[in-house]
Amino acid sequence: MKIPRLTTLASIAILVVLALFPVIGIPLRWLNYLFLFFIYLALANMWNLLAGYTGLICLCPHAFVGLAGYTLAIGTWVGVPFQAGLIAGAAVAALFALIISYPVFRMKGIYFAIGTLILPEALKAWFNFWRPVGNQYQGMGAGYSVTGVAGVTLGDTYWLALAIAAVSIFVVHIILRARLGLGLKAIRDNENTAASSGINIFRLKLSSFVIAAFIMGLAGAAYFIFSPRIQPTGGFSISWLLLPLMATVIGGEGLEEGPIMGAAIVTFLRFLLADYGAWSLFIQGIILLVVVVVMPQGIAGLLRQVGAYRFPQRLFQAAEGKIRRT
Amino acid sequence: MEDFLVGLAFPLTKGILLGGLYVVIALGLSLVFGVMKLINVGHGDLVILGSYLAWAIMGWLGIDPFLSLVIGLPLFFVLGFFIQKFIINRTFRISLDAALIACFGISIVVQSLCQGIWTPFNRSLATDYRLLTFDVGAVTIPLRYLLDFIGGLAVMIALREFLRRTYLGRAISAASQNEPVAQRMGINPNRVYSYAFAIAMACAAVAGVLQGLTFSFHPTAGPPFLIISFGVIILGGLGSMAGTFIGGMIFGLTQTLGGYLSGGSMLVQTIAPYLLVFVVLSIRPQGIFGR
Repeated sequence: MKIPRLTTLASIAILVVLALFPVIGIPLRWLNYLFLFFIYLALANMWNLLAGYTGLICLCPHAFVGLAGYTLAIGTWVGVPFQAGLIAGAAVAALFALIISYPVFRMKGIYFAIGTLILPEALKAWFNFWRPVGNQYQGMGAGYSVTGVAGVTLGDTYWLALAIAAVSIFVVHIILRARLGLGLKAIRDNENTAASSGINIFRLKLSSFVIAAFIMGLAGAAYFIFSPRIQPTGGFSISWLLLPLMATVIGGEGLEEGPIMGAAIVTFLRFLLADYGAWSLFIQGIILLVVVVVMPQGIAGLLRQVGAYRFPQRLFQAAEGKIRRT
Repeated sequence: MEDFLVGLAFPLTKGILLGGLYVVIALGLSLVFGVMKLINVGHGDLVILGSYLAWAIMGWLGIDPFLSLVIGLPLFFVLGFFIQKFIINRTFRISLDAALIACFGISIVVQSLCQGIWTPFNRSLATDYRLLTFDVGAVTIPLRYLLDFIGGLAVMIALREFLRRTYLGRAISAASQNEPVAQRMGINPNRVYSYAFAIAMACAAVAGVLQGLTFSFHPTAGPPFLIISFGVIILGGLGSMAGTFIGGMIFGLTQTLGGYLSGGSMLVQTIAPYLLVFVVLSIRPQGIFGR
């Protein structure tokens, strides 16, 4: 029988322990933190897939999150159960990515960044006025509450977020080891060379864009099940861009473990600075600037540079060798 | 038909005059874009910071917002010089993407700074002439829109003369036309970048005052201005003052005419400029007159 690798076993063990948390009754506050950590992690992972591996500085995650959230909210108003709304939201986000892909992929570099930045702003303006269901007296076109999620406990949303985060990590892991990841890295490093080596640039970019949009949509919809109220300013809030961007850059762009570290730091900071209102964002912005200037590789990059992984890696190898021998 | 044309006269003049404001914002953005090929994503927020600064100085000293530029302009100039020197120049050496993310960081810092100091409420520069209007023929023109136009024209001419007549201005033009050659002629690109960013910030200070007189503002009001002024640049072409001016007019007109033709719909008025930028970008990704 083939023995699975120790790293695989370790990650499965961590997943199982995390999944058991709601059952063994740890404080609800902790579940709350971890829930947000998982949501940010999924977003950051997908942002890293786009920025770090495909070379697309995409400034529109809030478009995906907002669209998914609105699909979920409006769906529950017309009688769609929220489980279906979750998938439908992600599908709408992916569809949106598919529709905008043709115009935005014509833009390169900085033009792409600004081109994608326009979309959520336009959507925000649109949803400020558009009110497909519900009556006029609940504020002009603005907010919706997600109905029918009263029976959902924090434990359920926690498991949902854990699953989404795990899927996002798994997806990135698989993509990087498949032909797709190889092609994406080639595009990031030099688009013209990649094209002349026979890589279909448009199709590869499109696949990573749509996958990212789908998972960001899932994460966004899951958030709005957890906090069941959506408004144009909340759903299309720039913080949905800010969090994955900061997590990825602080953790280490283009490194698989970067978003995990970054998301942990961002979540920690968010709760540490929760009492300071606007100043919390100010401090986070300063940290982002310091990281970009002082260690552009992020924390994970710095750790790799100083060789911090060598010792645990050797430990793992030694343990694995021992298991093989016995 | 005649009624329609007469009705059209007001949004037409308003749009053209409003274009002046977008020209001032876009000039700062295009100066930095020209030399570094970098869009300062925080430019809209810096404009709003300019509005807040004018508002604060007005509150402290009780002087006219335009007079407050005596303090605001040098302050912004120095601030811009150091932002470029200590943040953007360093990240620019790493990659353009890193510089873009640094600009994004500046945008967050400025936004939350405004929010922290001045609270998220709507403000406006409430001067006694803010709501004055005057009649030209059948058209009633708000004074503040005329001030936008005059401001746009003044900043444009001042900047053009600066770029043509001074050593520094010529160095900036040279660096934006062909940087490697400019460098061989003894121009220090990092210094040029710093001065370009400083001047862009000074433009933002002027734009902030005009913006605060024209509209009300709140800490997160910046991004729409960034998008519109980016649209002005890609429509008008880089390095062309006349092009930028026409681009500004077009965006002013899009907004006012869009609002007028749709029967005063706020939705069209907000979304029309975005759509215009997006369509132009997707048809001609390098801009209409892009190189």
